[in-house]
Amino acid sequence: MAPTSLLISLASCLLFLSVSPALASNSEGEALCSFKSRLSDPNNVLQSWDQSLVNPCTWFHVTCDSQNRVIRLDLGNSNITGALGPELGRLQHLQYLELYRNNFMGKIPEELGNLKSLVSMDLYENQLEGEIPKSLSKLKSLRFMRMNNNKLTGSIPRELVTLSNLKVLDFSNNDLCGTIPVDGPFSTFPPESFENNKRLNGPELLGLASYDFGC
Amino acid sequence: MPFFQSPLLFLLLFLSFSCTQLSCTGTEIQALLAWRSSLNHPGCLTHAWSYNTSNDPCHWEGIGCDEAGSIISLTIIRCSINGTLHKLNFSSFPYLTILHIEEEQNLHGEIPKEIGTLRNLQVLYLYDNKLTGEIPATISNLSNLSNLTIAANYLSGSIPSAIFLNTSNLHHLDLHDNNLTGEIPKTIENLSKLEYLGFSDNHLTGAIPRAIGHLTRLTKLYLDNNELNGRIPLEIGNMTALQYALFNDNNLQWELPATIAQLPNLSSLILKNNQLNGSINPYLGNNSYLEAIDLSNNNFVGMVPSALCRGGGLLMLWASNNSFNGLLPTTLKNCTTLILLELNTNNIRADISLTFGVHPVLTVVDLSENRFYGRLPSNWAENIVILNLEENEIYGKIPLGFLNSTQLQLLSLANNNLTGDIPEELTNSTSLIDLILSNNNFSSLPYIQAPKLETLHLSNNIFVGRFPLLQINWATLVTIDLGENKFSGEVPSWIGSSFPVLRILRLRSNQFIGNIPLQLSMLNNLQWLDLSNNNLTGPIPNILSSMHSMAVQIAQNRSYFDLHFIYKENIHLIWKGEKATYQENTALLNEIDLSCNYISGNIPDDLVKLQGLIFLNLSRNQLSGVIPHNIGNMTSLEILDLSINHLSGNIPQSMSHLTFLDTLNLSHNNLTGQIPSGTQFQTFNPSVFSNNDGLCGFPLPNNCSTNNSSIVHEVNNEEGDKKLEVIWVICSVILGFVTGFWAYFGALFWNISLRFAIFHFMDKMQDKMMKWFGWYLH
Repeated sequence: MAPTSLLISLASCLLFLSVSPALASNSEGEALCSFKSRLSDPNNVLQSWDQSLVNPCTWFHVTCDSQNRVIRLDLGNSNITGALGPELGRLQHLQYLELYRNNFMGKIPEELGNLKSLVSMDLYENQLEGEIPKSLSKLKSLRFMRMNNNKLTGSIPRELVTLSNLKVLDFSNNDLCGTIPVDGPFSTFPPESFENNKRLNGPELLGLASYDFGC
Repeated sequence: MPFFQSPLLFLLLFLSFSCTQLSCTGTEIQALLAWRSSLNHPGCLTHAWSYNTSNDPCHWEGIGCDEAGSIISLTIIRCSINGTLHKLNFSSFPYLTILHIEEEQNLHGEIPKEIGTLRNLQVLYLYDNKLTGEIPATISNLSNLSNLTIAANYLSGSIPSAIFLNTSNLHHLDLHDNNLTGEIPKTIENLSKLEYLGFSDNHLTGAIPRAIGHLTRLTKLYLDNNELNGRIPLEIGNMTALQYALFNDNNLQWELPATIAQLPNLSSLILKNNQLNGSINPYLGNNSYLEAIDLSNNNFVGMVPSALCRGGGLLMLWASNNSFNGLLPTTLKNCTTLILLELNTNNIRADISLTFGVHPVLTVVDLSENRFYGRLPSNWAENIVILNLEENEIYGKIPLGFLNSTQLQLLSLANNNLTGDIPEELTNSTSLIDLILSNNNFSSLPYIQAPKLETLHLSNNIFVGRFPLLQINWATLVTIDLGENKFSGEVPSWIGSSFPVLRILRLRSNQFIGNIPLQLSMLNNLQWLDLSNNNLTGPIPNILSSMHSMAVQIAQNRSYFDLHFIYKENIHLIWKGEKATYQENTALLNEIDLSCNYISGNIPDDLVKLQGLIFLNLSRNQLSGVIPHNIGNMTSLEILDLSINHLSGNIPQSMSHLTFLDTLNLSHNNLTGQIPSGTQFQTFNPSVFSNNDGLCGFPLPNNCSTNNSSIVHEVNNEEGDKKLEVIWVICSVILGFVTGFWAYFGALFWNISLRFAIFHFMDKMQDKMMKWFGWYLH
């Protein structure tokens, strides 16, 4: 019995077989690929992001720990355009989120408040708009929060005073309004951290006036 | 006599209204022409259905008539019509038996329900058009239908269960490549004459109905590429005519019914990409003449069914990516018809020396990632093209006559326990493209002369001696991996001129001595240079900076390694502190690793021209001098390790321009000065800079004490100010005390009259107080 045409086409498939296992089910890789799918990347900075790999740890600009969990994302100055999506919040071990100096737009997703290991959040010099999510007050390990030079509006969430590890904060060059908290780490931030926000009224006057006036 | 009473006149009238062979102007043609004029564009029909072409419409292209002149077939293929079927008056064609419209890329719209009026229709063939909407339930009226093909369109909705109630004459049912949803109707059991059922490439859900067991004449069952779930019904065992069964790419679960083994005509069974589990009836193949079985990408367990080849005709067996754990020696021993065998990525424990007999047409064998043991067989496959045995437990030497094949392209024996030498018959093969022998205990290597060789992987064996002799001027060699052996002697300079397309040179962890040859810079395509962990001495040749392929970021053209579809490159490296294996992304990585040697001298300034370099590791050497000032030009740099050297001077400020730098190690050097600030430098751990006595500034705890450090300086001033304040206070108190003391007692000492006056005053006061005191007591 001679092989049918079906069998011949199956035979030609054998030359294109891949030795490696077919499907990867790594959820951090999936999250990063979802993130990538919203973005326009003219410099091909993300071309190594291949979801068929078993984890994203050999992707460029991604760093993992010894258990193959993503701890750093370094995409500064990459000429990337697009929105930040909620899936970034799934990177539970992320420590450094470096997305500065790009064209990220839209709002800061509140899911970024889920990044409980985050030490540094650098979103500065983008086109981000909308309010600073209150959920960022859950980032208890955060030491550096730099969101300067965006188009952020609304008031500075008072909840951020609970971030006791915060050492450096920069919200300058935005369109924030209301008053600046003075409690907790906010007492250590110099005025330059808030400058060039035309509608930001200065430090809050505790007990004397309502917090969000003019906002 | 009245006009209508004349029989002759009546006959004439009658004839003029009926359709004759000579001049047909009846309703059928009118309906066709009316439909044609309703089209946006009639395509070829303008010419094909024209009285200029033929007087008799029955001779028009695509139109077939019976003896009475009625239209019985209508065929339109690649005619470039543009329009819909909406204005085709189906009821005008009572005698139509064949309606065939194929490859009309602009025939859109829905199938009108009036199609149900074509009572005599036997063949409805609508293939590769743009028809949308649901399958009209009125098709159930077409009781003479024997071929229903509406394939490669854009139909949606579910298959109406009514259409199978009255169409029991169907032999051929083909709805593949649409957007059909919903379940397969149980009414399908009425199609007792059905021979072909094609539902592939839709979005059908639900379980395969048990009713399918009634299709006892069905030879071809194509349900692949849907979203079917649940079990394959055991009623499949009743489909005694079944030859080809494609279930691949669904969500089918549970076990394969044991009844499938009783099918006497089964030839191809494709189950790939489902979630089937359990073990498979070992008698599968006993009763029929199996040719192709694909079980891959499921969760099957147990033994690979041993009867698969019993029918004497097995050509292809895929079972990869399951949890099979055994393979009886009798399964493949006499399988002389076998062309392809893929059992990789299972847990199969079997003696490979007993697994094979003689297989004259065996072309592809992949047994990788299993637990095969024993010694390699010999003289078993003289036409083999791909042989992948990696990651098993095979031991012993490569026997003589292991592979007499003149067609061998890929051979991988990596990750086994093989020993001894590599036979010349392998290294002289005229067809060999990929030779992968890594991770064994091979000890000796002959002269390698394979003229088409592209990859040579010998890493992690116990090879000794000098760099192996490779035939000079190989236009094809892309990868040389000799890492983790005991090679010694110098790195030969002829490498540079011999391998024009070399991309990967990995000599890591050997005992190579001497200098890094200048000629390596002639390797215009070199992306990956790993000479680490050897005994190399001398300087880093400046000329390395002229390696063209590392000067630019690799563009999307990662085509080389992807085209190499037979075997994906597999390179081990230490990536960001962890062991990693590069496979798919190999084509994109530019790396230089010279670490763990005795290299001395400076880091050449020109090295910064390598703007495509992603990974640079020069650690653990004896490098001295400064870090090149313009290191910020290496804009692709992601990993930079210069630790454990004798580098001095400052960390160049330009290094803070490297926005992709995520892994940095400058520790254990003699670097001094302020650590640059900004961008990535704000994210590094202090340990990255440790053991450099003179480094200061963030993130190190010690501050720099120069004028440049502004905030730190101000703090110092403040403290100084406070100290000054305290000193002033103390001074002024002492001064005040001294002044007051001497003002009073000085007067007493130097002026007698003042003295008398004071003492006189004091006496008076004393008297007054005594009087007052006395009065009080009384």
